[in-house]
Amino acid sequence: MCTPMNVPTVAFACLLSIGLSGGSAWSQTLRIALSAEPTAVDPHYHNVTPNNALATHLFSSLVEQDEKQRLQPALAKTWENDGRNRWTFKLRQGVSFSNGAPFTADDVIFTFCRLQRNETKVTASFGRVTANFASVTAVDDHTLAIETLQPEPLLPNYLSDIAILSASIVPHGKITYDLGRECGVTGPWPVVGNFNDGTAAVGTGPYKLKSYVHGSAIDLERNPTYWGEAEPWAAVQLLPVTSTGPRFAGLLAGDYDVIENPAARDLGRIRNDKRFSYIVTPSARAIILQLDVGREKSPAVKAADGRNPLQDVRVRKALSLAIDRDTIIKRLMDGSAEAAYQFMPVGMFGTLPNPAKLTYDPAASRKLLAEAGYPNGFQITVATTNNRYVNDSQIVQAVAQYWAQIGVKTEVDAMPSTIYFPRRAKREFSVALAGFGSTSGETSQFLRVWAATPDEALAIGSANYGGYSSEVFDRLIREAIVTFDDDKRSQLLQKATVTLLDDMAFVPLHFESSIWAFKADLAVTGRTDQFTQAMSVKPKK
Amino acid sequence: MTADIETFAKTAEANTPLRMQVLRNIRNRPTASGAAIAIAILVLLALLAPVITPQNPYDLASLSVMDNRLAPGETGMTGITYWLGTDAQGRDMLSAILYGLRTSLLVGLTATAGALAIGSVAGLLAAHFGGAVDALLMRIVDFMLGFPSILVALILLSSIGRGVDKVVVAIMLVQWAQYARLMRAAALVERRKEYIEAALNFGLPTRHILLFHLLPNSIGSVLVVASISVASAITLEATLSFLGVGVPVTQPSLGLLIANGFEFLLSGQYWIAVFPGIALVLLVMSLNLLGDRLRRSFNVRGP
Repeated sequence: MCTPMNVPTVAFACLLSIGLSGGSAWSQTLRIALSAEPTAVDPHYHNVTPNNALATHLFSSLVEQDEKQRLQPALAKTWENDGRNRWTFKLRQGVSFSNGAPFTADDVIFTFCRLQRNETKVTASFGRVTANFASVTAVDDHTLAIETLQPEPLLPNYLSDIAILSASIVPHGKITYDLGRECGVTGPWPVVGNFNDGTAAVGTGPYKLKSYVHGSAIDLERNPTYWGEAEPWAAVQLLPVTSTGPRFAGLLAGDYDVIENPAARDLGRIRNDKRFSYIVTPSARAIILQLDVGREKSPAVKAADGRNPLQDVRVRKALSLAIDRDTIIKRLMDGSAEAAYQFMPVGMFGTLPNPAKLTYDPAASRKLLAEAGYPNGFQITVATTNNRYVNDSQIVQAVAQYWAQIGVKTEVDAMPSTIYFPRRAKREFSVALAGFGSTSGETSQFLRVWAATPDEALAIGSANYGGYSSEVFDRLIREAIVTFDDDKRSQLLQKATVTLLDDMAFVPLHFESSIWAFKADLAVTGRTDQFTQAMSVKPKK
Repeated sequence: MTADIETFAKTAEANTPLRMQVLRNIRNRPTASGAAIAIAILVLLALLAPVITPQNPYDLASLSVMDNRLAPGETGMTGITYWLGTDAQGRDMLSAILYGLRTSLLVGLTATAGALAIGSVAGLLAAHFGGAVDALLMRIVDFMLGFPSILVALILLSSIGRGVDKVVVAIMLVQWAQYARLMRAAALVERRKEYIEAALNFGLPTRHILLFHLLPNSIGSVLVVASISVASAITLEATLSFLGVGVPVTQPSLGLLIANGFEFLLSGQYWIAVFPGIALVLLVMSLNLLGDRLRRSFNVRGP
């Protein structure tokens, strides 16, 4: 009765009927409304959050990330490294795929081969991990050895993105990691269509695919052979509802049990409603201002002395002190963000456990500006997207207000992300808004890509548009990315973070939060990687 | 008898000067006269905006994000009573709407004047010289009219950046073609008349004929169409700003104010989008009603 089609007209009737039938037992089908639709069932097709989230229902990886993106054993029970380039993974025994085939090391090797024999893929980034592989060998059915070309301490993190396929979906002889002889596969390699129609969608995940209809619904059913704890839902329906309004109205009408990404300002409507509940989870997406510190002349700064004031660390600290992060979060983000005092949220690997609060102190800010030789401020333009991050252009306008109050004449240049990203890459901005979300669950990802002095051979510094370059920082990060010892690496990353905060070439503002709203008799665990999973939803005890 | 009276009335009308006829035509129509009064009030408000508004919405230092999204009639920390509420940045909506009206009128009038100038010159040249000049200019016009104006303006603004001046340029480039087409048609009719023949035979310089004979006698219909086009220029500016490529976000026009408020409609904060929306509808509708009446009075068909 309460289908999505008739939401506007019978929403009220639906509400009534739910009110009347309240207390009835949970239907065994869980219905989740998604804000963005997965573009395919193929887990190696397109490296975007909705696809990766769907893949975790159907497939397992060797290593999994929990809700805080900490690594957990999955198809690999243990792994170890010899301190150099050789990794050994002990695989879980007694696991079978949803078609009954047993899981062995051959399936992992087949998966690594398929990453490189993947003609229909949209993004190449899944194949990047195997580019560093010198060899992969099955020591026995449940032991896998990987030899890398360069030391890679984060190999388990990168493998947590790789969904393991079953070699039984293709005709094959003996599987070996030898692309020259097609790894032993004798038939055609599976393409995206084989996954979408279900024939190749064979995994070891908690659910299996019942049907995938693009634009309409993805139907899943419980996988009885799953190696982990059985899920409480016999069936799950994932429904793409991309407009915020209808998605929220659908929850109110009872059409959906869980919705992802409701607008924070709409939450007031369910705050005092006993039938609904919601959860706000800080994500690993940091919103940061990137300052142009590398150039004597910066395109969007005008100071009386003709210099680039952003090159003076006192000016950069003054700009940070002038921003009231708490007010921005309270008034603009409706509370669904967390003030950022470093570049990844506390708790993620390599972050500071107790970063110093970046306080709001306009008096101290004016004093620093005067000390730096700009008592009357200067002119500056802040560039921002207006459609990429939550309230992006509103946040920058508020920052402009705060800077105007310390005498820095600030203008805002807001544009759609398709125009913004190419212009930022050409370094046309002096202050640019950046949003960075970590997929590896480590702070090193931000530090090496955004703040390190660019070096293509090491794949570092590719997003350092502000031209930040610090010898101390570079030494720390270059050492950290090849350090295997976790404690030592964590310390190096923390030191690098402190150095970067001292230099304030990046002004952290806040971490975006993800929101899920759901029926009150459910318990939902929010994830920092912003994945929406049926596995995070349990009936309330 | 009645036939006589009708003839008499027609003769009387024919004898009254055109200007008086038009004025009477407007005054006798309640919609048209209402529109004229509305435009007068809106223009006056826009002109006086810096004097009568409680806040300068374009001065970031005078805004406070602490006062954001207040309902109409609430008083904020700055001590101002916001009669139409505030937007997400703490901007007084009343002040923002009046300043937005200034931007809209400024953009509408200057863009139309510019387009009119370019279009008239192109149309006159095409009509007078004919042949290759005519063919070339009219193919350019065909090309311009072939594209949806919003698409052309979007592409232009994406490449030249944003700002009031750039929006004016974009709208001018989008709209000049229709004036060129209209001007050419009017001038072609005039050019066949005897007085032009005479002037040509006298050997008057081409510039003189174009400026003092052809232009004044052909421009009437173009001017009437321009009066309606002011409204479409304003709408185009509002649309571009709504799409996020128009005026800067710190200097919102009516279109940008509506875009900003649009996302708060479901949350119940209607005033951020609705009040600027009403102002825009009032302005555009009045201009259209008045322009339409003018057009009928002069019996001109649109492009």
